[in-house]
Amino acid sequence: MSFDNILTILIVIPLLGLVPLALFWRNERAVKQVAVVTTAVELAVSLVMLARFKVGEAGFQMVESAAWLPSFGIRYELGVDGISVLLVVMTTLLTFISVLYSSGGAIKERVNEFMVAFLVLEVGMVGVFLALDLFLFYIFFELFLIPMYLIIGIWGGQRRVYATLKFVLFTLAGSLLMLVGIIAVYVASGEPGDRTLSLPLLIERRASFGLEFQIWVFLAFALAFGIKMPMVPVHTWLPDAHVEAPTAGSIILAGVLLKAGGYGFLRFALPLFPFGTQFWLPALIFLSVVAIVYGAIVSAVQKDLKKLVAYSSVAHMGFVTLGIFVLDLQGGVGATLQMINHGIVTGGLFLFVGIQYEKTHRRLIADLGGLANSWPLYTVFFGVFTLASLGLPGLNGFVGEFLVLLGAFSFDPPTGPGGLFWGPVAALGVILAAVYMLWMFQRVMFGTLREAYRGLPDLSPLEVICATPLLVLTVVMGVFPQPFIAIIEPSVARVIALATGAPVAGR
Amino acid sequence: MNNVIAVLPEIVVTVVAMVVLLVDTMLPRRAERGWLALLAVAGLVVALVSGPFVTAPGTAFNGFVQIDSFTTYSRAVFIVLAIFSVLVAPGYLARLDIPAGEYYAIILFSTVGAMTIALSNDLITLFLGIELMSIPVYVLAGMQRHDRYSNEAALKYFLLGAFSSSLLLYGFAWLYGVTGTTEFGPIAATVARTGLSDGPTLIALALITAGLGFKAAVVPFHQWTPDAYDGAPTPAAAFMSVAPKAAAFAAILRLMVGGLGPLGADWSIAFAVLAAVTMTLGNVVALVQTNVKRMLAYSSIAHTGYILAAVAAYRAGDSASAAVLFYVIAYGLMNLGAFACLLYLDIDGTRGATLDELNGFARQQPLGALAFAIFLISLTGIPPTVGFVAKVFVIQPVLDAGLTWLAVIIALNAVVAAFYYLRVVVHLYMHEAGADSAPIVSERMLTVSLGLSAVAVVVLGVLPDGLYSWALQAAAPLVR
Repeated sequence: MSFDNILTILIVIPLLGLVPLALFWRNERAVKQVAVVTTAVELAVSLVMLARFKVGEAGFQMVESAAWLPSFGIRYELGVDGISVLLVVMTTLLTFISVLYSSGGAIKERVNEFMVAFLVLEVGMVGVFLALDLFLFYIFFELFLIPMYLIIGIWGGQRRVYATLKFVLFTLAGSLLMLVGIIAVYVASGEPGDRTLSLPLLIERRASFGLEFQIWVFLAFALAFGIKMPMVPVHTWLPDAHVEAPTAGSIILAGVLLKAGGYGFLRFALPLFPFGTQFWLPALIFLSVVAIVYGAIVSAVQKDLKKLVAYSSVAHMGFVTLGIFVLDLQGGVGATLQMINHGIVTGGLFLFVGIQYEKTHRRLIADLGGLANSWPLYTVFFGVFTLASLGLPGLNGFVGEFLVLLGAFSFDPPTGPGGLFWGPVAALGVILAAVYMLWMFQRVMFGTLREAYRGLPDLSPLEVICATPLLVLTVVMGVFPQPFIAIIEPSVARVIALATGAPVAGR
Repeated sequence: MNNVIAVLPEIVVTVVAMVVLLVDTMLPRRAERGWLALLAVAGLVVALVSGPFVTAPGTAFNGFVQIDSFTTYSRAVFIVLAIFSVLVAPGYLARLDIPAGEYYAIILFSTVGAMTIALSNDLITLFLGIELMSIPVYVLAGMQRHDRYSNEAALKYFLLGAFSSSLLLYGFAWLYGVTGTTEFGPIAATVARTGLSDGPTLIALALITAGLGFKAAVVPFHQWTPDAYDGAPTPAAAFMSVAPKAAAFAAILRLMVGGLGPLGADWSIAFAVLAAVTMTLGNVVALVQTNVKRMLAYSSIAHTGYILAAVAAYRAGDSASAAVLFYVIAYGLMNLGAFACLLYLDIDGTRGATLDELNGFARQQPLGALAFAIFLISLTGIPPTVGFVAKVFVIQPVLDAGLTWLAVIIALNAVVAAFYYLRVVVHLYMHEAGADSAPIVSERMLTVSLGLSAVAVVVLGVLPDGLYSWALQAAAPLVR
């Protein structure tokens, strides 16, 4: 195969998977196999893409561009750079793991519909990281809304309807205002007939975006991405959605969907609106640090295991936005790395919370305890992810947070508190993370095992297969972060240069 | 130019309507009448195909009639909407013993009226078209003769409709008094010269706005809408919610953007405010409805607001009128579809279904539920559906015309709308059937036609370019 249009192939594979899936509709077993194979092929193709990626180049690679809506000046434009390439692979990996795990019996009702929702979801997730036209990006950004809405709403827990409506309405409120912003960018991009939403062209023309225009449009974008991340104070949908979502839904929600927000900032908001970025920067830094500290404190007091992991995501995403908005190379690289690490580690944590729930049917921390006594294998996996989540050196969580903190300490704004204030406060979040994660681990895993849980089986082979890639990546990215940083760094440098107005290398 | 050829599609539809009526009377009383629907559809298809090939651009009937790309586009819109309205109806009509032949003939006559609006070049033709479009619809609302609500709907609709027609006619009279002509071209030339300097022009403008506002269900002229849609037989409500609205906007484009375009700077602000009020009120009231049919009625008012916003943005040029034309067909497909989905449940009357009656629907009618969900998602404006692109096409001219506040209001309204549209999806998919669930009819023709329009909603959402560039072409000859 030549793979000339490898990015389009990545978008099409899940859709093609729907065809055999529909053909075998009456055979649930076959449907599961089709879904697993489709996501596996998708993962394989994304690895081919990664292999073909030229490390060290800042600009977009494997670009595809075709007229799509010519009378409106919209193009079908795809491309990857150092920021998106790893996110795409992370997405396909997490989707494969989610589908594989779900096919093992975690989803008992309406399996076919679940797999359809997941494949459509994958199209949206992969597309978001590949789209270079804002219009196309928006379509993919919204495309995962409905499948996720159904995944939480149909296969979720007790209060699933409330949680899923809240999730959708929050997300829509942000993204529809962003849509107005996108069309405003379109209108500002040139005379009628010459308008565009293609990112490279928009960057060339961004000088025509006035200062006031940038302030408002950046705000519209920031609202959409901030809700998606989520940033404090618009994070309140997240705990509900996570608690009610089925395990696979939680993995994807935390692992991939939240990243669309951070990615959107780096890909579109920063390069297009340098002045808007500067204007809102103090507020965004403040909210990031609040998220780090608040997320950590609230995590510490959670009684529900899943909610604890959900709130820890708020804190971790705070590191991402902090790294992005200090507008520093180390910070930006750290933020990107943190997004990938969080996908792997929190994906792993949600997987194991889910596995545990499947066995014990309890999620309250107080109801658990002593699980280490009967589940040695589970303990090892869960322990590694817990340690990675709290940022233990040698595991991947540490690398991202460390780089973000480096960036935060060197943050030097013209007015207001600088890095020497924000850095230590953010570092406090790392310490708090150790407190709540270790305390959680201790209460869940150690102590005396309840009689009811005695004899529950340890990890099944399928569960080990699902978790192993995540475990390997957690360790490898912790010990050898350099290859990953090498991929990310040039592109982040380019974005930072664009956002700060410095000369730009690459397209 | 040959006058007969110019209006050939209209003649075809009229003849087919009469044939349907005649055949209906000749059939024995208890005979199967489902195939009459196919006869009507065949006639509509002939009219659809004949339009662009036979009729050449130009004026006819001494300047009363104007054939241009707008006419061709609008004819196609009305015919497509009529086709779907006919296709979804047979099962319901048979079930409730509603005279089928008359039903189809009425839809065809109304469609002729709408098409007449599209080719009007003169106040008199325009009024003729509006009346020919409206009067059959009054009858349609009352087709279920033994139902109290249907009667109420027809009477209410008729009284308010007649009132609005008289307002409109009165406005036309004032306009004629001011300009001394009934033809759009000279009207535009005259008002361009005089501006809004005198009282009579203002009165004419106000009366015309109110009259057309009634037809399109613009707040505060919307009060008839919920009761009329709610009481009318469900397939009739589906037709009523889309075709008269599309026709009203064709009239607005012809008259406001065409004839009164030179006064645009004056009426556009009023339209912008009306648009904002209309969408907000429609959405907020729809929010608290528990009957899906009534909810759709209020939400259709909200959609009027979105379309009106594009009209208000007339300063943006052709893209504004093109947005109206695109939204009208997009809205037509999805709203007709959503109403028609209630036909699965509406076993014995005009009242539609409550939310609770929809519980478990997805299990019993997986394809119908999927189509319903697609229509609702499209009505919300979430990609990849035609409802989303239609909103984009509306917001663009609104921003171009400098009405940023209106664009923001559209976005916020879409969030409100998401709540009540997606709540229906919740009941379709996320609740199990309970004691409240309604029995569901299974009807192949309904499923096929709903499937077709659901596919159209998605395909046009992914590949809207052809339709949009056609709409742009259609918008070009409007401004005089």
